[in-house]
Formats: sequence, C-alpha cells, structure tokens
Amino acid sequence: MKNEDMLMHVRGVSRFVDDIPVPGCLHAVLFTSPVARGKILSLDAAKAAAAPGVAAVYTHKDVPGLNQVGHISKDQPLLAVDSVEYIGQPIALVVAESQRAARKALKLIEVDIEPLEAVFSPREAAAKGLIHGKRRERVTGDPAAAFARCKYIAQGSLYSGPQEHFYFETQRALAVPSEHDSIKVYASAQSPGAFHHHLAEVLGIPMHKVELDIRRLGGAFGGKESTAVWIVAPAMAAFLLKRPVKLFLSRNEDISTTGKRHAYEYDYRLGLDADGKILAYEIELYQHAGACADISPAVFGRSFLHVNGSYNIPNLRVGGVICKTNIPPNNAFRGFGVPQGTFSIEAALTHAAALMGVLPEELKRRNLLRDGDTLPYGVKMEQVNAVRCWDALDKQAGIGARRRAVAEYNRTHTSTKKGMAVQPVCFGISFAQTALNQASSLVNLYVDGSVSVSTGAVEMGQGVNAKIRIVAARTLGVPLERVRVDTTNTSRIPNASPTSASTGADLNGMATKYACERLRGRLVGFAAERFKTDSASVEIRDGEVLVSGKPAGLSWDQLAKAAQWARVDLSEHAFYATPSLHYDVETEMGRPFAYYSYGASLTEVLLDCVRGTYTIESADVIQDVGESLSPEIDLGQVQGAVVQAMGWATMEQLRYGSDGRMLTGASAYKIPDIKFVPKHFEVTLLKDSSNPYAICNSKAVGEPPFIHGIGAYMALADALRAYRKDDGPLPPLPLTPERVFMYLHGKEGK
Amino acid sequence: MLNFILNNETVRTGEKPGMVLLEFIRDVKCLSGTKEACREGECGACTVLVGRRRADGSVAYRACASCLLPVGDVDGCHVVTVEGLAGNELTLVQRLIVEHSASQCGFCTPGIVLSLTGFCLGARKLAYEAALDALDGNICRCTGYAAIRNAARALCDKLAKVKAAPAGRLEGLVSACVVPGYFRDIPDRLAQLPGAPEAAGKDAVLVAGGTDLFVQKPEQLLESELSFLSRRDDLNYVKEDGEALRVGGAVTIEEFRLSEPVKKHFPSLEGDFLLHSSAILRNKATLTGNVVNASPIGDAAIILLALDARLVIAAPGGKKREVPLSRFFLGYKKTDLACGELVSEIIIPLLPEGARYNFEKVSNRTTLDIAAVNSAMLLTPGPDGSIADLRVSAGGVGPVPLLLEGMDAFKGRRPGEETAEAVSVIAAAGVRPIDDIRGSAEYKKLLLGQLVLAHFSGEAV
Repeated sequence: MKNEDMLMHVRGVSRFVDDIPVPGCLHAVLFTSPVARGKILSLDAAKAAAAPGVAAVYTHKDVPGLNQVGHISKDQPLLAVDSVEYIGQPIALVVAESQRAARKALKLIEVDIEPLEAVFSPREAAAKGLIHGKRRERVTGDPAAAFARCKYIAQGSLYSGPQEHFYFETQRALAVPSEHDSIKVYASAQSPGAFHHHLAEVLGIPMHKVELDIRRLGGAFGGKESTAVWIVAPAMAAFLLKRPVKLFLSRNEDISTTGKRHAYEYDYRLGLDADGKILAYEIELYQHAGACADISPAVFGRSFLHVNGSYNIPNLRVGGVICKTNIPPNNAFRGFGVPQGTFSIEAALTHAAALMGVLPEELKRRNLLRDGDTLPYGVKMEQVNAVRCWDALDKQAGIGARRRAVAEYNRTHTSTKKGMAVQPVCFGISFAQTALNQASSLVNLYVDGSVSVSTGAVEMGQGVNAKIRIVAARTLGVPLERVRVDTTNTSRIPNASPTSASTGADLNGMATKYACERLRGRLVGFAAERFKTDSASVEIRDGEVLVSGKPAGLSWDQLAKAAQWARVDLSEHAFYATPSLHYDVETEMGRPFAYYSYGASLTEVLLDCVRGTYTIESADVIQDVGESLSPEIDLGQVQGAVVQAMGWATMEQLRYGSDGRMLTGASAYKIPDIKFVPKHFEVTLLKDSSNPYAICNSKAVGEPPFIHGIGAYMALADALRAYRKDDGPLPPLPLTPERVFMYLHGKEGK
Repeated sequence: MLNFILNNETVRTGEKPGMVLLEFIRDVKCLSGTKEACREGECGACTVLVGRRRADGSVAYRACASCLLPVGDVDGCHVVTVEGLAGNELTLVQRLIVEHSASQCGFCTPGIVLSLTGFCLGARKLAYEAALDALDGNICRCTGYAAIRNAARALCDKLAKVKAAPAGRLEGLVSACVVPGYFRDIPDRLAQLPGAPEAAGKDAVLVAGGTDLFVQKPEQLLESELSFLSRRDDLNYVKEDGEALRVGGAVTIEEFRLSEPVKKHFPSLEGDFLLHSSAILRNKATLTGNVVNASPIGDAAIILLALDARLVIAAPGGKKREVPLSRFFLGYKKTDLACGELVSEIIIPLLPEGARYNFEKVSNRTTLDIAAVNSAMLLTPGPDGSIADLRVSAGGVGPVPLLLEGMDAFKGRRPGEETAEAVSVIAAAGVRPIDDIRGSAEYKKLLLGQLVLAHFSGEAV
C-alpha cells in the first residue's frame, strides 16, 4: 500500500505552507543577535520602521502575552529583552509588504550590545557549572567490583558531532487573523498541541481562539518539534496588525539559527572478561545543548536510556550533564539521543576488540541482548529479536565470508583498504516522557459514505496518514478510497502530542482503530436491527454489508445514509494511552518503553589511502518492523534513515567560528546525494515478526534504522586500522575526508 | 518586454530581467509546484526545463536551477515547470516515481520529475548511468535515493527502444507519455515569438551562466541592466584547428564536457567536469565564467592552467588580445579583464605526443561540492621518456588558482616514484593555504602533496 500523497507530489500540487495563496499577505523577518553573549544596551528600530513597505517593527515590548517560547523550561524569550545568549537569537521582528522590503529594513535596525564572555565547549561549560537542570546518574550492579574482575579494559574519550536537519521546507508559518481576536495559523510543525499552547500564551488569548492547522511538512526529522519561534512570531504580527502574515526562513538563516542534532562528548571505560563478555561499563555524557534547554533534557534522557545499545551490561554506571553554551539551542533529530548513546558503546566495544585482538563482530555477537536479560533501568527483556536480526543478516550477507574477503583484499592492497562493520539495533519505542504517550482520533462518516479521519499525527513524508487510512479502512471494512485523512487541526484534535519518537502511527493509529471499531459497532447494530438478525451475523466487508456471510443488498454508502436518517451518530472520537508505562527519574528505574525495535546491518567501505577519500560500497540491512502496515512505506523509511545517518557519520560537518558564528552555509553543508549511496543497498524487513504492543502488530520504523548509519563510521574506522594498526580510542564522528586524511597522513599518522 | 513560453502559455512580461525565474514562476505566475529550498543551486528543488531552439529548428531542453536563472535569460525559450507536464494522466516519469515509492515528503519531487524528464529529452543515450548524472543536483533528504534509482532504472528500461538523438526524439517521447503533446508545437510557437530584446547598453552587467553571480549578489542584479552571453550564438562553439581546441565564450560546462572535440582529444575531461558541479548547474554554467570568476578553487581554471590554455579577450570595440591563463589571475578575485571586456574564446593546445594529463579533486562530497584542494598535471615526455615539460596547477591553496613554480627543475628527470616524491615535496612547500570551511591549512598542504603523488601514480580509484 503506497502513500497516495505521491500522486500529488509528482504533479507539484501537494500544498505546503508557502503554497497557500493569501491576498494582502505581509512578510515577517527576524532581526537576530550578531553577538554570542551580551547585554543589550540600546535598540533603535525607528529607521527600519520608517523604511518603504514596512508595516511594523516589534520588540519584546510589543508581545501581547507572555514573551516566552521555552519548550521544557521557561528560559527562551520570543524576543530578547535585555540580554542575548547566542548568535541568531531573535531581538526584533520586521513586518513588511514583501520579504525583500523586510530584509532591506533589517539592515536599518541599530543595536548596541556589550559583549560578555561566551562559552562554546560543553566540557568547559560543565566545568563552570553551566548546565541545564541537574546531573543525572544511575548505577546498576557493582561496576567497581566488576572492573576488578575484568581481563580487558578499554578506556578513552569520544566525540560525535552535530547534524543539521536540512528538511527541504525551511521553518515557516502563515497566520491569518479572524473575528473576535481569534487567529488561524498554518505551520510546518510537528507539535500541534505544544505549539497551540505557545501561540495562545504569547498572544495572551485563550487556546480556543487559536486554530493551528497542519496539512503536511516538507520534511522535519525532529527539527520542527520543539522550537516555536518561527510559528509564534508571524502569528504575533498578524494578531497585532490584523492582517495575514507569513514568515519563512531562508536556507542559510535556517542552518545558522535553528537547533541541530546534539554533539556529545564521552568518557568511557569498558571492562570485559577473558571470553569477551562485558562485565562493566562506565560512561559519562556531555551533551552540547546550547543556550536554552529547549527539548535537550528529553534528548539527553534517551541517550541515558540507550547507553547499553543492543548489549547486555550487568554492571553499569551512566552519568552526564546537559551543557549550556552560547550556540542556538539544539533540539530533536531522528533518533533523539539514541544514536549518540549507541555510538559510545559501539565505539567502546570496537576499541576493546582492538585491544583483545579479536574481530568487533565477534564481541558484539557475544554480548547481544537475549530474552531474560535485564536492562539497566530494570526491564526484564522478552521477545528480543537482536539475535534473530543478526542471524538473518548473516544469512543475507554472509558476515564471515565478507570478513575474509575484506582481510584478503587488505592483505593484497596497500594504497586502498577495505573496512566493514556489523551494526545491531535495539531501540525503545514510546515517548520516554510517559505523559506524551496519548493520542486521539476523530472519525466522521458522511451520508455519502465517505469517511474523514482526523488525528494529532502530522504527515511529514513518513506516511503516517497513509497508515492511519489503512487502519481506518481495514477496521471499518471499506475500500481505501472511501477514507481521507484530514489536516492535523487543533480545533478537531486538541492537546495532541508531537509526531515524533516514531510513535505517530502507533498512537494515532490505535486511537483511530478504537474510533472505527466503535463506529462500525454502531452501524453493525443498526444493520442487524434492519435485517432483523443479531449483530454477530452482520459484517461489513469491502464496502458491502454481509449478513451471515452473504451480501445483504446494502452498500456502505447506503448504510451510512440510512443510519443517519435513523438518527444514528456517524461521528466517533476515541482516545488511546499506551498502557503500563512508567519511569521514576529519582531512582532512574521503570518501564519507559512499550517495546523495542531491532535490526542488524553490514556496511562495507573502500578507503583511498592516498587521497583520504572513501566510498561506501555496500549496505545490507535487516530491520524488524513487526507486521508491516505498508512494506513500501517502511522500506522507504529504513532506506532514508540509513542514508541520513551515513551522512551524520561521514560528511555532514558544521563549523563554528571562534565567536560562535555558524560558518557553514548551504554551499558547504553537504548531505548525501544520489551518487553517495552504496551501489549495493539491500534492505530486508525481518520475516515472521509480530508485536502485540502496537497497532496491527506492527513496529515503529521512523527512527530505529538510523542506528545502522553508525556502521558506516565503524566500517571506515575498520579500514583506517587496516592501514595503520591502532588500538586506541576511535576518532571523532563524523569521519569527513579531512579527518580521514589527517588520520592517515597527519602528524599522528606518521 | 520579455517573450517566452511558460508551459503551454505564451508569456509577455515587463518584469525586470534580473528577477530569478523561480520568483517569476511562484510569485508572478502563482505556480507553486516549483519549490524553493536553498536558492543557491545546491538542492534541485526548483529545477525547471529550459528549451532553446537549435539551428535546425528543434528545441534543446536542459534542466536548470530556476533560483539562479534570470528571467531575462529565458527570452525566446520554452520554460517547463511541473505544471506543464501532466494532463489527466501522469507522465511516464511521474508514474514510475509513484510506482517505486520514490517520494516521501514531496518537496524535492517536482525537481526530480523535471530532471528526469530533461534527461529523457536531452541525454545522448538513455542509459542508467547518464540518468544518475542527470540527478546529481537533486538532493533528497527523505528517501535515501534507493527508490529514486529504481525509478530511474525502470525509466531507462521503458525507453530502451528510443534510439534517436535528442533532436529527433520528441515524437517518441510524446508517444511514450514522457511529455505532453503540446510540446510538438513548441518549435513553431517559439519561432513566432518577437525577436530578442534590444542589445543591452555598454554598462550592462555581462551574465554568462549566472550560477555564481546569482548566488553572490542577486539583489544587486535585480536592479541592474543585464547582457546575456547565452544570446551570443557566435560564441557557442567547440572546434579544433589542428593545434588547439577553440571554445567559444558562451559554451556551457556540459556542452564542453560532452562535445566531440573534447571526447576525441581530451577524453578524461568528460569525467573531470562531471565533478565540477551538478547537471542543473553544468547546463548553465560556462567554461569561461568559471575561469573569469577567479575562484581560487575553480575546477575549470585548475584544469586549463595545467593544459596551458590561453584566453582571447575582446574589447567593446571588437579588438582582441590573447593572454595566457597563467598570467590572467592577478590577485584574489582580480583578473586581467578590464571593464567592458569579455573572454570570447579559450584556446586549449592539443596534447603533445605521449603527454600525460591528470586531474585530482578532493571535496567533502564527491559530486556537487567545492574542492578542499584540486590539482591538475600535464607531463610531456621527451623522446627518451624523460620529462620535457611539467605543469602542475593547484587550487584551494592560495588566493588564486596557481600554476606551481619550480617545475622546470624536473626537466630531464625520469617520471618515476622518486621524481613524484620530489615534485610532491616542492608543491606542498610552495603553497600557503589558509584555514577555512573547506579544511585546515595543514590538511590542504598535505593533501596537495598527496594529489601530486596521485598524478604520477596513474592510479585512479
């Protein structure tokens, strides 16, 4: 079952925010801080306000309600008041007849900022006590005693870099004021509920006067989940000017002022016995959060819960801090901290394998999670598919044979080397914040038999609407084309959780299933009465009413019409909350996830040791998606996540100046292109997997396959070590051609 | 007034010639299928087709980034956006993208549709590898490309029977539902458009491909009078005169790369220039433009320096002078080109007997990226196999594209490993790169040394 939105995408008729025609629309542009940290001494916008075409220039003094868009903590003003904390922090909002006029006027704003000392290193921030919230730590078992029993100990420091989302549709919103101080906002946003709330707070009006409507996003990947600035700002202008206002960021504004995947630094110590069994692990995380907390604490929590990766670690000490530095606040990005948590254990294990003189895949296989193992936060594992995925991969790709071929290649080649890595995946599914695991669905049946479904899920290319449509059609017993999934709208579905954590289909699909079951039940009951039989004898299948398995001569459309005339309610709302979830942040114990998604992959690279360049030659991927609602969609999700993660692991690099300015723009930030993708790229969905904990026995697929991309880094590291024997900690991620080259030919390499 | 055909509509507009086509399409014509996602030609979301009449009256279609294409430059052309493709039925390209689930969020999809359609119309051979070349400027952040590759492969399979050269292919493509039937009438309709606008004044800004200019200063160009090199049919040629290749000032990188004389005399340039930029930029960017913009890292300059190219510079009155490229670059972004002058021709001497030419480029991403360091070498052996002449160029390691000095010292040496090492050391020692977003100074210095070794090793990876 395909994503039917594609039929519109290929014609260019699918509508994004900037495609909505609005006569008389004004354009808003943000004036942002040129200084990483400082005190605002004066701000003069008079010249800008008088510039041609300018309708207004707003500062914090003009905010009608609460000047605050902080997501978790109230630490982020919409417009700076008397100080700035990062380059790119909004100070004023210019509204004009055209974006061009607004941009010209920006240059007329005069601001005097006294620079203060800024911090850009997370470790330095941690040392100075500049952290968001407080340090977290959990000790499981007795690491100290276990380390004493270890034959091998791998110890070192690691780094993983930031990643820019590069969603194609930059941050944008359109706000249209309406009667009685109400407003409708069309936005490219993943969090209808939270942004709805921010809008009302900043405008100083009750939420029932704000309608947030979301048709689809041109990509998001987490980057449109938590930071409300670019949605609230145009809404404020529209609200004050009583005219439609839109704001959209240019690509370079988006790159330089929006949040990224968090960079992390790590200190680790991993201990193993003589057989390569992990006995103990200590890991300290330094998360580079930026100036405001934004959603960083939640991302950190995910890293914290995934430091064991796919492995059984009986004795563990995990700790870490969320470092407050003077860069734009980082936010969610596909994987939400799990890639970083997983990266550290993968790198530590690979380091240990070098010390022991064994293959990394041997160590990994030996320590994979199995049924009955207990996770560090107390969950006893069942239905673990880690080994199944690994074995399916072995069958598809032949791990041992591939390793032998790589070794043979390296024995016979000097100026090129090959490297490979096997990457297991274990990814907890649910919002780690238990409260967010709720969703509702509104199903409306019309008298012509067409069905409209509204949920809190946001379509951003991941196909959640297509999946919800499948669930509704299947449950109601009608052909797919009778069902349409409507926009995500806060007037139809209030207080919706973000579409993130890979839970969009799980939560909203389940709510839709409940609503459809109840609606179908009512219609079946009505039909039973009409045919003078019991409900158990009535079925609805393919849009036909069957009685005792035989067509009753009543179509779905006729049934809808008749039921409405008989005063049967054709609308149904249902709610779903994932059962049995709990987590105690004091004890750091609980059951935060409903279930786990598994996978395994083999990545192989070819390294050019003369030039320091490389090619990812192949990727074989097994992904456990349970009983897929749509194999086409799920395959696409896996392929997309793997390649996006390969970008994070290899070429995607952001550089900041010593003053905290983002130096990398669209012309330098390179993400994978069609020629980067491995020639051999085979993704297989794990066969015969089921999952009682999610909709129609499926499993979440958005984020878990991102983990496979770590394999590209590990395979490169493997090739580097075929060139130069090295049993130290692994180099920083990403392994850009420059880093690779310097490893091979820099001082360290000589 | 500008006259052109947009999809199936004849357009007559008084908009400023410097307005980029993307803005015209979206804001003036309210066609929202063409997407803006970077405005620097880096992503391909705004790809459109520009059809220009060939000498034989047929129309040559090229996929271009509409964000860098001034509307004045499409005067007399047929511009095709996604709205100009499908009627009630999807086109073949659209159908295959859907069949292979090669679209997720959909924001890049119209651009991919146009690039693949442009490939069908313009590629010399409808082969899978060429389809990938055509898609090398269409970035997709969602799909991971596997499905797009499958759609491209299926497209080539479906069109396996279309053997005609691009100029005679239209009928076959209409019947294969690649383009709608109205395309048949376009050549005649273009012929009926009013003639080109009056020549620009002498102070007009000369626009070659515009793919760099419109990234650097679009707002300034919007207000400027512009003169378009693409209208200079007299400068659109690649020919050979027995001693050298002569390349007209209006020739695009893609035309140059795929031209018969280049294939014959410099076969490796076809691949080297594939690394220059993406298809949607190569279709517009010119060889001369890439030299004149004087970027210290320009691929064309580096290649042509090693090949000992000369520039023919024409003054406004038509008077011409010839300058060796090695003396053209005077300082950072400064050249020996006076106001009003233009490079009308590039002369590339044919390779001497037995000469070895090699180009190396290392960038963060292999395709569509600016090099950290690029370098080319031309080694001419004497009758005994020793070095008679050695030219090594290097980009990204100084304020201008450099022709490295000190190479004369190697005349008479055997071009073996020892010489390679010595050249490498001299090359790296002679440059003063700086730290920037393309890499650290130390990296670039060391990398140049390695690339020189690669020149000699002849080992291509």
